[in-house]
Amino acid sequence: MENINAGDTAWLLASAALVMLMTPALGFFYGGLVRRKNVLATIMHSFFILCLISVQWVLWGYSLAFGPDHGGLIGGLDWLSLRGVGQTPNPDYAPTVPHLGFMVFQMMFAVITPALITGAFAERKRFKAFVVFTLLWATFVYDPVAHWVWGSGGWLKTLGTLDFAGGTVVHITSGVSALVAALVLGRRKGLGLEPIEPHDATMTVLGASLLWFGWFGFNAGSAINAGGLAANAFVVTNTAAAMAALTWMTVSWLHKGAPSVLGAAAGAVAGLVAITPASGYVDVSAAILIGLGAGTFCYVGIQLTKRLRVDDALDVFGVHGVGGMWGALATGLFATVAVNSGAADGLFFGNPAQLGVQAIAVLASVTYSAVMTFVILKLIDVFVGLRVPEDEEVVGLDASQHREAAYTI
Amino acid sequence: MELVAFASFAVLVVAWLIAPTKAEVVHITSVKKAAQPEAEAA
Repeated sequence: MENINAGDTAWLLASAALVMLMTPALGFFYGGLVRRKNVLATIMHSFFILCLISVQWVLWGYSLAFGPDHGGLIGGLDWLSLRGVGQTPNPDYAPTVPHLGFMVFQMMFAVITPALITGAFAERKRFKAFVVFTLLWATFVYDPVAHWVWGSGGWLKTLGTLDFAGGTVVHITSGVSALVAALVLGRRKGLGLEPIEPHDATMTVLGASLLWFGWFGFNAGSAINAGGLAANAFVVTNTAAAMAALTWMTVSWLHKGAPSVLGAAAGAVAGLVAITPASGYVDVSAAILIGLGAGTFCYVGIQLTKRLRVDDALDVFGVHGVGGMWGALATGLFATVAVNSGAADGLFFGNPAQLGVQAIAVLASVTYSAVMTFVILKLIDVFVGLRVPEDEEVVGLDASQHREAAYTI
Repeated sequence: MELVAFASFAVLVVAWLIAPTKAEVVHITSVKKAAQPEAEAA
């Protein structure tokens, strides 16, 4: 117990609370983007996942992700029900913080990751299918990939992958899975034939603002100590988000003739996604370039997805998939030991091999997430059924799935 | 104790699997009103 640092512990617990807020914030971000008949169901996706994964994580998720290593692929079952995870720090993960504090910080990452996917299947997925999907996806996709990248002995960690706060673990896995889900579920009824528009843009901007706020815990908390690295992560996170919002707004202004408010909000989120893996390894100049790239690449990614007629309803792949891949590769370009002496330089600082390592991590996480998500969705389709019937889609998921309405006016 | 914790979660999961899926979909006035034009168009 004598190793516990009060400042580090306070910062990590506060960061866990900040990251917790991100999941309901995501519910509002997505909730504003759907039609009014689906807003409650959309918010419920995020809220339910907060509850479901909180329990899954303490029962077996944490053990699979961070438990004693098995072949670099998965954690063991030694820490089921948090057996052996107590107030004493774990030197492998957080030497100055109670192990329970590290566990709950990681829990919030495990919570928000499947919630990100829900934007792809919004307005048409059965609640029961969503519940089963989330439980299986968290267990068979998130937990193993988290172990590969962050777990002691994980094969990508051993390879030297740099992922400070979850570009690979959180954003690539969720973004790619979202694309697969959109393809498997098919397009929403009426898409392209009738206007399908966001019902409350103010809700979306509020959600994005709260996500930005929570992201300080996500990235700066990932330093695991209340020191200089946390301050660096905080500053580059804010810079990249701002730069990406400005870029997205400008690109959309030039492309569509107006500076979109929703575009600025989506751009900020894209910047936050892209800086996530890099935030503990890059300086502020690199953060500006990462934000510039995020605002551009994610915008283009969304336009391409729409042109291919894929109904990724709330642009999850464009923001999280493309942003996550850009962030992971940008880490291999801009990382410098001047920011983090315990890490490695990137291509622009004389170490081209790091870019190759990052590319391997991207490729592995994309392939594994896509295949596993496809298999899980197909199994659920056979045994439970993925989509609501057409009449229920027309009336909306709030009434058909939850027997409630968001607004009575 | 751990076994009971696992079992209680398992009971919930089983309940979600067997819970009814077909609801009486339109019984809320505001929802009915909002959905009407779309339903007619369909």
